[in-house]
Amino acid sequence: MIDIQDLAKAFALGKNSKLSDTEKQDVRYSKEAFHSVRNVSFSCGAGEVLGLLGPNGAGKTTTLRMLSTALKPDAGSVLLNGVDVLKQPVKARQQIGFLSADTGLYGKLTAFENIAYFGRLHGMKESVLKQRIDELFTLLNMHDFANRRADNMSTGMKQKTAIARAVVHSPKVVILDEPTTGLDIMTVQTVLDFIKGLKQAGTPVIFSTHHLDEVASLCDRVVVIDKGISAFSGDISQFRALSANGDLREAFLSVLNVVTNQQGAA
Amino acid sequence: MWQVYFKELTELMRDKKTLIFVILLPIFIFPVIFGVMGLVLSSTTNTAMQAEHRYVIINAEQAPQFADALFYHKNFKQIKTDKTAEADLVAAIRNDEFDVAIVIPADFSAKRQAAEQSQWQIIYNQSSQFDFMYRYFSELMTNFNEQLQRDTLTQLNVDPAKLAAIIKPVDVQKVDTAAKRENIGEKFGAVIAYILVPLCLLGASYPAIDMGAGEKERGTLETLLICPISRVSIVLGKFFTVLTTGLIGALITVGSFGIWGAIIGSFAGMAVVQEAMSAIAITELILIFSLLLPISAVFAALLLAISIYARTFKEAQNYISPLSIMIFLPLVAAMMPGVELTTKTALVPIMNVALAIKELIKGTADYGLLALIFGSTLVLASIAIGFCVHWFQQEKVLFR
Repeated sequence: MIDIQDLAKAFALGKNSKLSDTEKQDVRYSKEAFHSVRNVSFSCGAGEVLGLLGPNGAGKTTTLRMLSTALKPDAGSVLLNGVDVLKQPVKARQQIGFLSADTGLYGKLTAFENIAYFGRLHGMKESVLKQRIDELFTLLNMHDFANRRADNMSTGMKQKTAIARAVVHSPKVVILDEPTTGLDIMTVQTVLDFIKGLKQAGTPVIFSTHHLDEVASLCDRVVVIDKGISAFSGDISQFRALSANGDLREAFLSVLNVVTNQQGAA
Repeated sequence: MWQVYFKELTELMRDKKTLIFVILLPIFIFPVIFGVMGLVLSSTTNTAMQAEHRYVIINAEQAPQFADALFYHKNFKQIKTDKTAEADLVAAIRNDEFDVAIVIPADFSAKRQAAEQSQWQIIYNQSSQFDFMYRYFSELMTNFNEQLQRDTLTQLNVDPAKLAAIIKPVDVQKVDTAAKRENIGEKFGAVIAYILVPLCLLGASYPAIDMGAGEKERGTLETLLICPISRVSIVLGKFFTVLTTGLIGALITVGSFGIWGAIIGSFAGMAVVQEAMSAIAITELILIFSLLLPISAVFAALLLAISIYARTFKEAQNYISPLSIMIFLPLVAAMMPGVELTTKTALVPIMNVALAIKELIKGTADYGLLALIFGSTLVLASIAIGFCVHWFQQEKVLFR
C-alpha cells in the first residue's frame, strides 16, 4: 500500500536568476523558489496499478523522486506499507523498486553484472541472487544478452536490464518512470506483460506515462498532476467519466483545462 | 562500501582512458623525459664544446706567444680582416663574418717593458647558452699571464724554486662535501616532484569525474541513491576507488622513475644519474610513495567533491582544470633557489611534499619533518573527505 498526503517540494532559485514572462505568470514560481510539487495526494493499494499522468514539467518526476527517497519532501507524508520514508528512509528503500526515466545502467558492466550489483547492494545472498536473476532473464527474455555490456545494448535491451535491476530484490512497491518511452512494440509488450505480472503478484505499481492506451489496458487508478498539484485522483472508471464518450484523451485534457482556468481566475 | 568500491574498480579497469592515464602515461613519461632531456643536453653540450670559433686578432705582433697559442688551439680558427675599430669589429660579428675579436693594444710591448698594466679587449656575442669559447680564451689568457709573470720575475733574478709561490701565493684546493647524489638531488629533486605530484592528480582526475558527474550524466546516481546503503558508504566506496587509481598511478610513476632512471643512466652514458639512482635505496622510494599517499587522498576527495557538484562530465572538467593549474604554484615555489624544508614549509600543502621528495633524493631528509608532513597532509585529507561526505548529502548538489 502506498499512501501519499499533501506532498510538496520547492527548489531554491539562484540569487541572480531572472524569471521569464511565462515563468512570472506561472503560480509555481516565487522570487526565491520554484515550487515543483505544491500539493499531491494519492494512494495505491496492493495489486493495483496507478498511472501517473501529466504534461512535461508538471511535477511527476519530482513526486516519484520523493516517493523513492531520492529527494526529501518539504511537506507532506509518504507511507510505503506503513513505513514513513522520511523517518525510516533506509527501511523504505528496501521495499522500493525504482526505474528512473534514464535507464541508468553502467556501460562497462554486462546485463548480469548491472543487476547483480544492485542485488548485492540490497544485501541479497549470492545463491538467491543468481536464482532471481535467472528468473528475471526468463521473464523478460534476456538470456541472449546476459553477458553483453550495456554500452553495446539496444534501447530495448537496456530498458529490460533496467527493469530487471529495479525489481531484482523483489520489492514490495514498484515505481516506474516512463518505462516504455522510446521502445519498439515488442519490447513495450514485454514491459507491459511484466507490469501485469507484478499486479497479479499483488505488488502495487506506480508508473508515469504519456501513453493513454497503456493506461487503458493496465491501470486501476489514475492520478493527473498539473502545475505541481494532483488535479485528479481516482479509479479508471471515474477518470473515463470525465469525458462524455469515455475517451481518456478528452478526460485528460478536461482535467488540465480545469487547472488552467483555476489558475487564470486566481 | 566495498560493493561500490569493487564495482567502480571493475568499470575503471575496463575503461581504456583509465588505462592510458593511470598506467601507460606514468610508465612512459619518465623514459621520455629522461631520454629527451639527456639526449638534448648531451648533444647541445657536445656541439658547443667542439664548435670552432672564428677569430680575428688585432696587433698580434705585440703578443706573438699568445697569438700562436690561439692559432694552434683546436677550437679557434683565425680569420683575416682589415678592420681595427671597435665599432667595425662589433658590426662584423653581428654580420657573422667571424665570432670573436681579440684586440691587443698597439703599445702592449712598450707597456710590458715599462712594467705597466695593459687592457686587452675581447669582443663577442655572449648570448650563447654554453660559453665555452670564453672558457677556452680564459685558459689561454691565464697561461699567458703566468708566462709573462715568470719572464719578468726571471729577469729580476728571482729564485726559480720560489716562482710558483710568488705567482700564485695561495692555491685553493676545493673539497666538495656534497656527494654527487646530493648535487643531482638539489638540481633535479624538485623536478621529480614536479612530475610525480601532478601525475597523482592526473591519475585520479578521470575516475573522479566519471564517478561523480559521469554518474549523474548517465542517470545511474539516482538509482544508487535509493539503494538501502548510507550515502557515507557510497562516498567512501567512490573515494577509495579514486584514491586507489591515484596511488596506482603514483606507484607506477615512482617505480618507473626508479627503473628507467637506472636504465637510462647506464645506457646513455649519464654516469652521474646512474650513480645517483643507485644511491637511492628502496627505503627512499617507499618514503616518497608514503608521502604521495596522503596528498593523493586530498586530491581524491577534492576531485570527487568537484565532480559530484558538476552536472556533466564537461562541467567537471572545466572545474578541475583550474585545480590542475593551482597545484603547480606550490610546486614551482618548491623549485625556487633557497627554498628549503623547514618546520614552516613542512606545513605548506604540496610544497612540503615536493621539498621532502627533493630531500629524499638528495639523501638529506630529516625524518622528523617527514613525519610532520605526513601528519599534516593526513589531517588535510581527513578534512577533505569530511567535506566530500557532507557535500554528497546535499540535495542542491546532487540534483542541481
